[in-house]
Amino acid sequence: MARPRLTDVTRLFFRVGVTVFGGGDPTIAILQREFYRRNWLSPEKFAIAFGLARLTPGTNVLAFCAAAGWYILGLGGALAAVLAITIPASALVVWLTSAYDLTTHYRLAQSIANALLAAAVGTMIGAALLLVRTQCKPGRWLRPVTISVGAFLLAIVAKLTPLQVIGVAALVGFFWPES
Amino acid sequence: MNVIVLYLLLVKATLTSFSGLASLPMVRNDFVLHRGVLTDRQLNTAVAAGRIGPGPLGIYVVSVGYLVDGVPGAFAGWLAMITPAFLIIPMLRFLGARAEQRRARAVARAVLFAGAGLMASAAVPLARDAITNPLSLTIFASSFLLIASARVDSLWVMLGAALIGVIAFQF
Repeated sequence: MARPRLTDVTRLFFRVGVTVFGGGDPTIAILQREFYRRNWLSPEKFAIAFGLARLTPGTNVLAFCAAAGWYILGLGGALAAVLAITIPASALVVWLTSAYDLTTHYRLAQSIANALLAAAVGTMIGAALLLVRTQCKPGRWLRPVTISVGAFLLAIVAKLTPLQVIGVAALVGFFWPES
Repeated sequence: MNVIVLYLLLVKATLTSFSGLASLPMVRNDFVLHRGVLTDRQLNTAVAAGRIGPGPLGIYVVSVGYLVDGVPGAFAGWLAMITPAFLIIPMLRFLGARAEQRRARAVARAVLFAGAGLMASAAVPLARDAITNPLSLTIFASSFLLIASARVDSLWVMLGAALIGVIAFQF
């Protein structure tokens, strides 16, 4: 694995923090693509960071960033990752809070917000597909697809909470080892 | 409200939830119902501001802090949002070499695949709000294809969508 400089790690998390919309999951999927492209994190460590982040209290994506940063550059990497991904987005959310009434009063702002929302949904579903596709090994798609589709159905049809779905997936992962 | 109390209340909410908006009931209970320092309308504004902008959905706590106590409150909200994230480091240290075992890797990857399914399921209610006409459907489908193909950076997808929003307003 390549060992980047702290400024490179900070720059990547900063850029992703201000440009990825739709919540934590698309952020993780985009980070995955960037990590693999730069050879910063192995698929195994990515999966561990992702899995543990789901079991950490608070906002999952921030725990994931802390774990990824820690794997890449230790404690400094974890701090840089979490600060870089949250500070600009937090400044933006403060501005949006004070300007929120604009989106309800101005049609141009509404039109842009609607377009961004539609794109954010497309990004979320595209990122979900990307997440599975990049982790699939050639010819071994049955386990990933079954677990992903199963989790989707458990959440939508059976109305299980995310934590319950993760628990079921962990059990399936334990008793259905990878070939 | 004292900024330390504000931080403690928000961190209590973030530490006892396991996803971005899961802390919302506790925040509403503490700030709207119990202490009356926030109205439901303000809480909705905080959630909406968090959803419009980039970053995790849990970022709404920064907005809550800002509405309660201005910029110091926003700082308290930000700190409450990031505090639980660092709990993962002792977990990683504890797991250490165990995390590299084949069975542990299989469990981690299963959780990752389930996360992808959960991500798609979280998009369903949002899609009901977002896809309301042929234009929004086109933006949705184009964004999906561009991201899924891994060919285009999400920055360009969002900028393109914003531009389409401006053009659509002209007509």
